[in-house]
Amino acid sequence: MKDTMRHPGVYALFVVPTLFLYVLFFVYPMITSLVYGFTDWNGLNDPRYIGFGNFAEAFGDDDFINAIYNNIVFILFAAFVQVPLIVFFAILISGVKRFQGFYKTTVFVPSILSTSVIGILWGFIYQPEVGPLNRALGWFGIEPIYWLADMKWAMFAVLATNAWQWMGFFIVLVLAAILAIPKELNEAADIDGASGWHKAIHITVPLINPIVSVVIMLSIAGAMKVVDIVLVMTNGGPVGSTEVMASYMVTKAINYGEYGYGTALSIVIFVFALLLTAIYQLLVVRRQERVEL
Amino acid sequence: MTKQLKSVSILVLGIALALAGCAGGNGAEPAGETPAAPEPAAEQPAEKPAEEPKEETVEPFTVSLRHIQIGEAQKFRKAILDDVVAATEAEIPGLTFELDGVEDQVNRFTKLPAEMAAGNPPKIFDLFGGTGDALKYAAAGRLLDLTPILAELGIGDKFLNLSQFTLDGKVYGLPIGGNTEGFYYNQAMFEQYGIAPPKTWEELEAAAETLKSNGVTPFAMGSKGAWVPLMMVNTMIGRYAGPESINGFLSGSAKWNSPEVVAAFAKYKEWVDKGYFTKGELGLEYADMLNQFVTGKAGMMFDGSWRSSVFKDPEQAFDLTGKVGYFNMPAVPNGVGDQSFVNGNYGNGYGFSANLNENELKAVKAFIKNLYNDEMQLRGLLEDGVLPSMKLSDDALSKVEDPIVKEVMNLMKTAGGAFSHFDSVVQSDVYKESEAQIQKLIAGQASPEQVGEAMQKVQDTANASQQ
Repeated sequence: MKDTMRHPGVYALFVVPTLFLYVLFFVYPMITSLVYGFTDWNGLNDPRYIGFGNFAEAFGDDDFINAIYNNIVFILFAAFVQVPLIVFFAILISGVKRFQGFYKTTVFVPSILSTSVIGILWGFIYQPEVGPLNRALGWFGIEPIYWLADMKWAMFAVLATNAWQWMGFFIVLVLAAILAIPKELNEAADIDGASGWHKAIHITVPLINPIVSVVIMLSIAGAMKVVDIVLVMTNGGPVGSTEVMASYMVTKAINYGEYGYGTALSIVIFVFALLLTAIYQLLVVRRQERVEL
Repeated sequence: MTKQLKSVSILVLGIALALAGCAGGNGAEPAGETPAAPEPAAEQPAEKPAEEPKEETVEPFTVSLRHIQIGEAQKFRKAILDDVVAATEAEIPGLTFELDGVEDQVNRFTKLPAEMAAGNPPKIFDLFGGTGDALKYAAAGRLLDLTPILAELGIGDKFLNLSQFTLDGKVYGLPIGGNTEGFYYNQAMFEQYGIAPPKTWEELEAAAETLKSNGVTPFAMGSKGAWVPLMMVNTMIGRYAGPESINGFLSGSAKWNSPEVVAAFAKYKEWVDKGYFTKGELGLEYADMLNQFVTGKAGMMFDGSWRSSVFKDPEQAFDLTGKVGYFNMPAVPNGVGDQSFVNGNYGNGYGFSANLNENELKAVKAFIKNLYNDEMQLRGLLEDGVLPSMKLSDDALSKVEDPIVKEVMNLMKTAGGAFSHFDSVVQSDVYKESEAQIQKLIAGQASPEQVGEAMQKVQDTANASQQ
């Protein structure tokens, strides 16, 4: 080992192949996509350089603005609905004495299913006429709701499905943090006569704050990149009500054959995601010194 | 409280999981069907040496063949294709076709464009004609020029209409058949409510009203794929604004925001508002539309003549087998131009990669010879109800017995002419805009006038960039 470090040639021998593959499969495609982002290219003819034309077009494109807005809805839903629920369920499960492993597995299972399976499954649940959800609502005399076909409901339906898919994964993360809290703290609180929810709010939540910050950050990053569930369930419809940036990019690049514009959009998405996570890192996570990502 | 919550959430998860099992199974099925290649390929090596002993040993080679004949409704077409594949393999030593079945819309709008962009399309593939597909790829040099092959096989003048595949006098694709679009109706239901097949626009709307008042959806519709409602809107435009309008969008002689075209959008919207179409149509697929119709939830369905074979197959049409009628869209009041025109197309068929080696070219030639001939055209017509794309003798045509196909052919014969789908005429940008706009119209997000304005704006841009 010492010898290796002393001889740069040998060192290079180990690094170069990996570096080569990295450049070939990551650096090169990123640079080419950066280049194509500045061209008008339909994938068939030769790309034509148009400067910042695509980017100017993107920010004047109502459909793309609408997609950005929908991404923000995803982020807000993740931060203000999903994360509190994740903490709630994690605390709930941590309090269970019997079958804890069973609960953990059960909530985790959706995150190991493929998104296509989940999309089809929930498409069935949301089916307006025979779907179980509308049937259940029917018992209360509620008219069938066209979950995925109604602009009012489609976004909510997709958000709920997406949350169902990913919450279990985060619940298990938070649960691990909760179970790592020293027993003595809770025992001391018991002696002082604290009730269950007092303990949760004053002991558990502050102590798992670092991991919750990470969960929030991952959720934001996930919400910026979300695309598969949208493509499977609604393909951005009806009428763009569930269109997110990435699904719009796919539609533009692949279906409309505007590869130049599509790559420009992908660059915009990349920059947005980078900025948001960086800002969150700087503002929240860095202040809690113990977290290293 | 917490205990209850827990058990409820566990119950929900449990049910969901059980359902996931089923849904996953269903979802996997169509995918499983796709690589259907091996069967004919397996027979081939056994036959070949016996048939052609003089042939020296040849290097085996494969030719990729992309088709869209997947699923139950396409089984007749798939059978024809399989036979052509088997015949061609038997003819060309060493040849094995690699069949790749892909859903129509996925192939047309996702897979093929991406492959064309990357320059690696299959050797033979399902292709649509028109500005947005065949002509675009031909201009980029991706499609094989078929003119010499057609001359060699002597079938160049046999086709009824190659216009959607012809660029600068050269042919780049071959339509497998023709089609027209009109209304299918449930005969039993019409009888039950005393409705006669509508001959006029008033009768059509009265029929819709009668069905509606009896709790039946008048028109089955699945608008998740916007091309489905566009079939009807397209035909309405041909009625309200005249048959010439369709080609006129490109030349500028017709405008999307003209009162006549807007009237077509307005009529569709009026029907939406009256509840004439399936509720929640924006969430329903093309296949759902057929389900609505065959299960009797809807009395009529506007669809292509290619659907007719479904109604003679009890496995697909159930109780409706043989009890479906067909009529043309009637003349609209104050419509422009000849109201007897049909919406007719020779737009879907096969294209071939420009990038072929000698063996592959031989295979392509044999494939064309075996698929595009009187026998296969007649089979397509008799078994599948697909109108021929090649001239058939009256004698051959008289063999048709299927009542719907007969009706369709009769309507075409008596029609003043045919106008195309605008999707094969206008630029891709314009067509894509029409998909977005029609869904906005249905959802109530845009008025017919706004749709017309938006369409014309894109059309102007597209026309300007072409000059």
